[in-house]
Amino acid sequence: MIKSNSAGKIIDTTLTYVCLIAVAFIFFFPCLWIVLASFSKSGSIYSFDGFFPTSYSIHTFKKLFTDTTMYNYPRWFLNTLFVAVGSCVLGTLLTILTAYTMSRFDFKARKPMMKSTMVLSMFPSFMGMTAIYILMTQFGLINQIWGLILIYAAGAPMGYLTQKGFFDTIPKAIDEAAKIDGANSAQIFWKINLPLSKPIIVYTALTSFTWPWSDFILPKLLLKEKDLYTVAVGLMSLDETEFARFAAGSVFIAVPIVLLYFCLVKNMVNGIAEGAVKG
Amino acid sequence: MRRKLAMMLICAISVSAFSGCGKSEATEDKGDATATENTIFSGELEENVTIQVLENDTAISKGYFQQLIDAFNKEYEQYGITAVDANMDQYLDLANDGPYGYGPDVLYQANDVIMQYAQGKHILPLPVEKLECYSQVPKSAWQAYQVDIDGQTYTCGVPVNVQCPMLYYRRDLLPEDWKDNWDKDSNDVPDMVENWNDMYAFSVDRHNENGDTYGYMKSLYDVYFSSGFLFSYGGYIFGDNNTNPEDIGFSAGDSAKGAWVLSQLASTMNEDCIDDTITTNAYSKLADGTYFATMSTPDTYTTFFDELVNEYEADGLSEEEARAKAEENLVMTGIPKLPESGDLKEENPKLIDSKAMGGVNGYAISSYTKSPNACLAFVDFATKYDMIMLRNETLGISPAREDVSNEIGGLSESIYEKLEKGNIVLMPSIKEVAQIWTPGQTFFTDIAKDAFRSDSEKKYKDIDSMRAGLEEMCQQIHDAIFTLE
Repeated sequence: MIKSNSAGKIIDTTLTYVCLIAVAFIFFFPCLWIVLASFSKSGSIYSFDGFFPTSYSIHTFKKLFTDTTMYNYPRWFLNTLFVAVGSCVLGTLLTILTAYTMSRFDFKARKPMMKSTMVLSMFPSFMGMTAIYILMTQFGLINQIWGLILIYAAGAPMGYLTQKGFFDTIPKAIDEAAKIDGANSAQIFWKINLPLSKPIIVYTALTSFTWPWSDFILPKLLLKEKDLYTVAVGLMSLDETEFARFAAGSVFIAVPIVLLYFCLVKNMVNGIAEGAVKG
Repeated sequence: MRRKLAMMLICAISVSAFSGCGKSEATEDKGDATATENTIFSGELEENVTIQVLENDTAISKGYFQQLIDAFNKEYEQYGITAVDANMDQYLDLANDGPYGYGPDVLYQANDVIMQYAQGKHILPLPVEKLECYSQVPKSAWQAYQVDIDGQTYTCGVPVNVQCPMLYYRRDLLPEDWKDNWDKDSNDVPDMVENWNDMYAFSVDRHNENGDTYGYMKSLYDVYFSSGFLFSYGGYIFGDNNTNPEDIGFSAGDSAKGAWVLSQLASTMNEDCIDDTITTNAYSKLADGTYFATMSTPDTYTTFFDELVNEYEADGLSEEEARAKAEENLVMTGIPKLPESGDLKEENPKLIDSKAMGGVNGYAISSYTKSPNACLAFVDFATKYDMIMLRNETLGISPAREDVSNEIGGLSESIYEKLEKGNIVLMPSIKEVAQIWTPGQTFFTDIAKDAFRSDSEKKYKDIDSMRAGLEEMCQQIHDAIFTLE
């Protein structure tokens, strides 16, 4: 009986691993392919031997950062970084403030506002692009990186519901205890609730960063000058013969996101743990 | 309730107040074209201005554009006029961006693009007779930029170079015995690049020898390149010299013979000819020897050349040797002649000239510029003999100016002659041209697909069915034009 159980367990484990490896391979293969393609020596997708390049070189990466006459990748990269960091800081602040307000304060328009934002957030963001374009032209914010940051940051609080859900889990009794000790609302927020909300802040920051980092539609709409392009728009403007440069650019753009994830995931876990102990 | 209503009204008023802010060019009436030409181009240069010039990407990457603006800025320094790179994508959207002040002042585009802008009054009619190049550019090239409004003709662009399909092939991929077996007229030019019958025969031979290699390869789906085969046998785009969209002529004359030629060529290619694949892979496939020949425009010469240099370098040659060898072996020449019968298997056919769809690239001035006279000065400067000659030397374009074309001779001169003879059919300059591409792609795709279908599944089994297919394509174009109007 024990023997058959252990055999079943082995089969179960093996099948699980086979399935996991197969699924992982399916998702990992495109990444592997683009990484290998970025090191292609010929630079052309049509000189591949089957799926993979015939010879490898780091020439494309060198070219990506040095040959900037037509395609100024370093500039695009800095623009993207600026937009993503700006949107991340401003967007996180606005989202957390909105979520906290909706979670902790009771005011007359609270319910209608919550309903409205929920309905509005159901519409895809590109629906309003024409209106955004016209508004931005009127405010003179076309060809302005700040214009992008404002739109991303202003749109971020629309998705405050997750953060509100988190604040709802922090017992209001803590706020009341602080109030008894003489703390005002701002002090309660900054000194009590915010330190307890590290995981959700990290999550918000991460999502606020990744959206502008990889967005294409809005920068394409608002940025007309090549030197102001973000990486997504810039890569799309590459000539059809520049495949290796496209692949190298796509690989390099993933670096900050991966770094950010590894830096923040630790804080996220720590935050969750701290929150659990304090809670 | 009353308070809520008041709040709503305040919001509405605020929004409408904001929407009134900003620039008002979008709603300004641009007025009559005659008035614009007379009043705007007064000849008085606007001083201390910067004009944004949108140039072709190749001109920028090869350094020609920098030389052009440096020379212009030096010449007009005394007036404080500075030309700069508009730093925009070459496929801009002047119709949407221009009214808000985000377009370039001067733009370099193909005639069909410029003329679509002209019909929307996004570019200015120009006093072209005042330009130095006026007498040197042929009438047919000027016509590509002309529009008739209320019985008057306005010219909205200045021709710079003529674009038309060219045959690219590798001299070192010719058979060793080509002088004995592939040069019947002993003129030292291989027969397969002189007529399509020999190109067809050579393509069959080359593929039979090695299944991985091909002779002539081209995406047949590409209307720009494929429609020339129809024109050669009497087809045309629009009637009345490409101005009457009621008369669509892809099926006119014996144009079905052109479709038959294409179907025969497709049988020597692989399935990549059905879509856009060959257009994008031709650079590397010609370089690695998979293809012997393909068709492209003159401005892509440098891309083919660079790919071939890379290939030779990969084979162990130094950069200098590779460049010298590529220069010797990469040949760009005119399109081969066609058999009058349309039969590529015919021996000793009677040959006729091939016609091709072409375009004229040139400069235009945005209606939204604040310095039209400075822009005109730039266009005049950029189209002078010296600059066009430099443009040819740097980019290998075929100039629209007769004097430069005569001076260069060779291929440029022959393109110029073809234009004069009407063997280059310029893309129509009316907006309806936008409706020819999709029905055309559908027809040519089916022609290409037929080569890979069994006999029973073929859509076009004979020349009569091809004629019917072309008539259907014309009907589709007609419907698209007049439904969308």
